[in-house]
Amino acid sequence: MTLKEDTISIVVNNLKKTFITYTRGHTFRDAVKSLFKRQKMVVEALKGITFLVEQGELTGFLGPNGAGKSTTLKILTGVLFPTGGDASVLGYIPWKHRKKYVSHIGAVFGQKSQLIWDIPPLDSFYLNRAIYDIDTGKFDHNLNSMTEMLGVRDLIRKPTRELSLGERMKCEFIMAMLHDPKIVFLDEPTIGLDVLAKDKIREFILEKNKLGVTFILTTHDLDDVEHLARRVIVINHGEIVFDDSMERLKSHMGNKKIVHVTTQKNLPPLNEAGITVSNRISEFEAELELDMSQMKLNRFIEDLNKASTISDLSIEQLPIERIIKELYA
Amino acid sequence: MTGNVRIYIQAFKLAFARRMAYRGDFLFSCVLTLLYESVIPLVTVLIYGSGYSFPGWGFYEVLAIQSAFMLARGLAYPTLFGMVITTIELVKNGQFDLLLLKPRSILFITIATGIETEDLSTLLGGAVLFTIAVCNLPPAGLLNALLFIPLLLCSVAFLFSFALLMAGSSFKWVGNYRLYEIFSTVTQFASYPLSIFPSPMRAAFSFVVPIAVIAFIPASVLLGHSIEFLLLSIGTSLLFPVLGLLYWHKMLRNYTSAGG
Repeated sequence: MTLKEDTISIVVNNLKKTFITYTRGHTFRDAVKSLFKRQKMVVEALKGITFLVEQGELTGFLGPNGAGKSTTLKILTGVLFPTGGDASVLGYIPWKHRKKYVSHIGAVFGQKSQLIWDIPPLDSFYLNRAIYDIDTGKFDHNLNSMTEMLGVRDLIRKPTRELSLGERMKCEFIMAMLHDPKIVFLDEPTIGLDVLAKDKIREFILEKNKLGVTFILTTHDLDDVEHLARRVIVINHGEIVFDDSMERLKSHMGNKKIVHVTTQKNLPPLNEAGITVSNRISEFEAELELDMSQMKLNRFIEDLNKASTISDLSIEQLPIERIIKELYA
Repeated sequence: MTGNVRIYIQAFKLAFARRMAYRGDFLFSCVLTLLYESVIPLVTVLIYGSGYSFPGWGFYEVLAIQSAFMLARGLAYPTLFGMVITTIELVKNGQFDLLLLKPRSILFITIATGIETEDLSTLLGGAVLFTIAVCNLPPAGLLNALLFIPLLLCSVAFLFSFALLMAGSSFKWVGNYRLYEIFSTVTQFASYPLSIFPSPMRAAFSFVVPIAVIAFIPASVLLGHSIEFLLLSIGTSLLFPVLGLLYWHKMLRNYTSAGG
């Protein structure tokens, strides 16, 4: 992807992170043995990743469990030190200038809460107002507009423990954005949410993005990426395996389509180049993958109709899950 | 600085509001804390009531030491000591990350997050016992009374150094609750007159690990007793917070967060 140099807000160059972790077997003997000697294991969480992010971008960060997504996010938020390489966000080196830097960013972790469990979110918001030194006018304006956008105006006065997961997550967003951050890091923000809550949060992210806020979104939910991200970075085993636009990601597997076909007569063998039968449901019905670079769609339909008389046919894009699985492999 | 004061006040209000969510538990915890802290003064009452004594020390003098001990803990525990359990818990489940996202000193945010309002009952109990002790003793000299306050603050700073050492250790040795228990047990020695211990222990409690500064020294100065190694004890006790701060910041670098 080509980015404008003067609008770059995140620069990551050959970033590496190595952890030392300890492993042991599952038996009681292993547990006792580990009391005296532990098996050390060096984990290369990041093997030298490099990428740039422009101000105002909404970038999806995808990868399987343990790929290095959260480690990257933790380094970029100043939580962890890298083992090697450089990174700069808004001109700050996150782990060196942590105190100054974090006042310009926000973060929402789907599995970690910034809200105080036993008291209403509003109390937590006021604590953040003091911590970020937000002036009253700005605080009131941001609070009102965000509670309105997310539809939680009355809920913020109820104890956090009484809120549903979706309501809580909306409040997490408010908590993370009261101080008008320029960049917001989102780590699986829609995990466990229902469709309505997901939609509301996605709308909110898009709205804020329109106002110029940069979002870095790590998620397993490919719907999030499809709805939100214009650019996708796929990371696997600590390395970037894909970094381009959503459209390019979709065309990454070539010009392939999923075809579901039902015929009046028995289906032919379907063994020509460019046709892969993924599911032969019956003698008259099958789901197949068509590589249109080898087999033209009109020729396929013509031949099939001539041989078996098509009674029903549907053509779909290759699901993004398939593409991602291929990239993870 | 004023910003930090504002945050601390806000955090204190929230800590109180948090405990008020379970009022019954809060009151019960306050009573239990007070009962626990009162065990040593009660034992002293029993000792003196049965005709025994700590040699060279009257009942109200010992009560003054023990109530000074409660005052020091009552000041240090709610305001500074909650950071120990908070750090242990947050490091264990990876939530310490969230404190690192705040644009303030990490130590300050950790302290503000760990405020424990129920420990204020120790302060209240200590204040009551201290008043009883002082009212039953000959009036202290003005200088002695004035010196008591900075010495009590010195005691709080010394206690804080242990909070730093324990919280700092939890960055590397995750979940070290036992250290807290050991500390609580060892500091109990500070609630007795130093003269009852053998001389090697007296020396150790005066300037090796000067727990005498927690209660014995402030109370003795107030009562006008002469104290062995006074300046050395104060000097060493002030060195502890400095070492504690250095240690805490060094250990923070060991924080590796939790997976996910």
